[in-house]
Amino acid sequence: MTEAGVLLFIQCVLAILVIYWISIAITMVYRKNRMRALERIEHTFADIVSRYLYNNEDDPLLISEINDRLKAVGIRKGNRNNVQYLIRLMIRTQRTILGENYYKLKKLYAQIPPYNASFTKISKWGWYSRARGIREIYEMNQSQYMNEVFKFQNNKNVFVRREAQIAMVVFMGWESLRFLPYLKRNITLWQQIKIVEKLYDLYPKPEMKWLKRAYKTDKLFGKKLLMRIIRKFELHTEIPFIMEHLEHPDYEVRETAIYCIQTFALSTERMDYIKDVYERVANPVQQAQLLNYIYENSDIDVDFYLRQLHGDNDELKLNVAEILWNNGHKEKVQEFYYQQYPENSNLNVE
Amino acid sequence: MRKVLVIQEDLIILKILERLVTVNHFDCKAIRSLDALTIEDQQSDFEFIITDILFEGIAPLEFVAQVQEIIPHKNLLVVTNMGQDKIKKEIFALKDITGFYAVPIDLDEIEATIQAYS
Amino acid sequence: MLNNIEKFFSGEYVFLATNYFFFFYGIALMTMYFAGVILASRAISRNKKKSRFLQVNDIVSATDIPSVSLIAPAYNEGLTIIENVKSLLSIQYPYYELILVNDGSKDDSLEKLIKEFKLERRDATFITQPIPTATVKYVYKSTLSKYTHLTVLDKNNGGRADALNAGINFATSELVVCTDADCIIEQDALLKMVRPYLEEYHSEIIACGGGIGIANDSVVKNGVMKELRLPNNLVPMVQVVEYIRAFLLGRMAWSEINGLMLVSGAFGMYPRKRVIEVSGFDAKTVGEDLELCIRLRRLMEEKELPYKVVYLPETLCWTEGPPDYDILIKQRDRWARGLWETLKIHRKLFFNPKYRYMGFLYYPYWLFFEFGAPIVEFLGIICIIAFAFFGMINWTMAVLLFTAAYIVGCIFSTAAIFMYVKNFNHYNKPKQVIELLLAAYLEPFLYHPILVYGQMKGYYKKIFRIKSGWGTMTRKGFKVSDT
Repeated sequence: MTEAGVLLFIQCVLAILVIYWISIAITMVYRKNRMRALERIEHTFADIVSRYLYNNEDDPLLISEINDRLKAVGIRKGNRNNVQYLIRLMIRTQRTILGENYYKLKKLYAQIPPYNASFTKISKWGWYSRARGIREIYEMNQSQYMNEVFKFQNNKNVFVRREAQIAMVVFMGWESLRFLPYLKRNITLWQQIKIVEKLYDLYPKPEMKWLKRAYKTDKLFGKKLLMRIIRKFELHTEIPFIMEHLEHPDYEVRETAIYCIQTFALSTERMDYIKDVYERVANPVQQAQLLNYIYENSDIDVDFYLRQLHGDNDELKLNVAEILWNNGHKEKVQEFYYQQYPENSNLNVE
Repeated sequence: MRKVLVIQEDLIILKILERLVTVNHFDCKAIRSLDALTIEDQQSDFEFIITDILFEGIAPLEFVAQVQEIIPHKNLLVVTNMGQDKIKKEIFALKDITGFYAVPIDLDEIEATIQAYS
Repeated sequence: MLNNIEKFFSGEYVFLATNYFFFFYGIALMTMYFAGVILASRAISRNKKKSRFLQVNDIVSATDIPSVSLIAPAYNEGLTIIENVKSLLSIQYPYYELILVNDGSKDDSLEKLIKEFKLERRDATFITQPIPTATVKYVYKSTLSKYTHLTVLDKNNGGRADALNAGINFATSELVVCTDADCIIEQDALLKMVRPYLEEYHSEIIACGGGIGIANDSVVKNGVMKELRLPNNLVPMVQVVEYIRAFLLGRMAWSEINGLMLVSGAFGMYPRKRVIEVSGFDAKTVGEDLELCIRLRRLMEEKELPYKVVYLPETLCWTEGPPDYDILIKQRDRWARGLWETLKIHRKLFFNPKYRYMGFLYYPYWLFFEFGAPIVEFLGIICIIAFAFFGMINWTMAVLLFTAAYIVGCIFSTAAIFMYVKNFNHYNKPKQVIELLLAAYLEPFLYHPILVYGQMKGYYKKIFRIKSGWGTMTRKGFKVSDT
């Protein structure tokens, strides 16, 4: 290593430093201008949508005027970033509204730019564009692209296949349960949540035929998804499906079953079954959850609680003791704790 | 003219609700946060307040309680993204809430409520 | 004696070996920083893309998302306790509960809380304690409907870790967030933190952290950061850069390869069942956050379960950094002791094949570069003095090498500032950015030597078994805006 070599190295790293300074300056200027532009687009779009949904008959808002105003704030084919921002606003609005206005919006979206931007994205190579394109298609309910989107339901990229599967629910509703619980790859908790919510918002009337068919699935995520659907739609007739899974060997399936059963109040017979399950479930955390559910949803069954007071887990025993103590059985709790000490021991109590 | 106060941070929902209220022949004050409320506003008696519950620096329940306390009004409608059943129960537990609408909302329902109460 | 020292330092092998050791140590460190920049930019870009598919608005309206308890220990914080609690209560999350643990405060914190939130005392006899803690005397709940999400635990003093454990015991949620009562947490922080838990499908997320920012002299209103300002003094100003660099480059890079061993105690989210399984925070060490994270990782490695520790690049929590050198030294002394204790507790990990990457890469990295760096720097200074004394230094070359190393260091800080400015809108004024850059460039001269001193002080205390606890961290408090 020579001095000249080190000097050259210093010059190189100094050059990199200068490049960073320039980048920081450019970024700051760009951000400032961009924020202003985005604000303008948002204000214009908010005004257009509100006027379109509640049009003034004396001074109607025409599509040509809408397009001119959008153009004036930079929504042009060449300006992809602005177009993308507009799409985000469109989705945000569409997701906010239901009923007749939802269809009014859909009609508006068909007449304003960006006409085919989402569809173009799904034919691109990168996962990000594809997944974004699919999301835009289902969020804006562009059902004409349904078949193109379905092709991606088993894509190797998790985001692409996730969006495609959600699209399936948006376009097919309950019938999508024909496929969903049988998918090859695992689905995330978020996907389950989103599927249930899309069903609830867009197809509020349950179609039991598809739900019951899906019960045959042996996929764990499928079982969890179905239990969440039963819970969300409060399908009392389907409670047995959840109850069946309270003793499932998989921890997470049991956890979902316990979570879902808590939505329902049960008959005495079913509650007796839950009490039996409580004694068989091997995990104390889940036992505590069940105990809480039993306590909050049934009358005090002193025999049951006294039996649990003699169990193995100290924390559960403490929970049981609290229930008995607060429900008029103080003496039973005292009796239980006193009997643990030898008869001739000197207790520090008066 | 009867007055309605709309408080929504989301500009698009704010504008839509403002428009909905205006076409129903109300005088509408639309703001994005309580900071924009003038002393005059705090003295006027609103027929309706249509508000979100998610605002910076204040818990949702406390926000509703504060609105109830400081702004004179007849009816309070909550329109919010955080519309889970649990939140709905907690909001109604605060009492004197006319309606709770979770996003996605059917604007016709809100319109019907306004027309029914007015 | 002097002759012997001279002989030792002027020995050709010793001189060469010392030179090579420092040279290769420096090269290794810089290579890792460079890899860090690349990994971090990849992680940030990926994170940004992923968040497009799961936005905060989606989560805030969702049902079935995990419930979260935020646990905030407080000790003698009566001056600011009401504002702090109101700030923590305003965090947006549908299934949220705030558990404030009054850790045996001697001031009027509890009285103030009782009065402001109309708290009602409840019996604590039957509180279950899966993690043993100092006695919880009472549980307080508000009688007002608008504060249903608040629980105050009043317990005997047991230290921060003990107070957090008491909160974890009491929580019934799936996830717990551990923080400090005086931290300012971004309103949507929990909605962002919960994202990895919702999206992961083949590993379990055992800990999730978010960026922490230094906000001395910033303006706070209603517990929300109203105006983020740069600190007026150099010490906290340099910490702004230090935190940006550590969180954006360091943590994000390690997160990208699932090698994170630390989720900061100031703001970390964990699944409650796993924390209970490992018996919570270790109240005996002052580095309880690092220790817990390593213990959680060990648990998963021993059970052979797939897991991840993740970090989010956004700054989700603001805190006040040490305002002067004295407090800074105390803080770094404590951190150094915490690191020493934790590495000692988990020494079994060192090159242990059972723990795979954790044994072969992550633990050795912490040992050689996090723990070892101050020692190496300290030895370096001694060597320079000794070699200079015996006239063995080529000063021209030394100055050139120092300049090169200094500029490379500046590049890493500048890269971190660039990434921060590009991705987040916190410091958006040219004056702020210039000040940050200047602070970064002054850091090696005015800040770093003090840091090394603080760390060495901590090691010294451990070597000579000098007893020392948390030490006092005096805080000035944020500026409060009335308008």
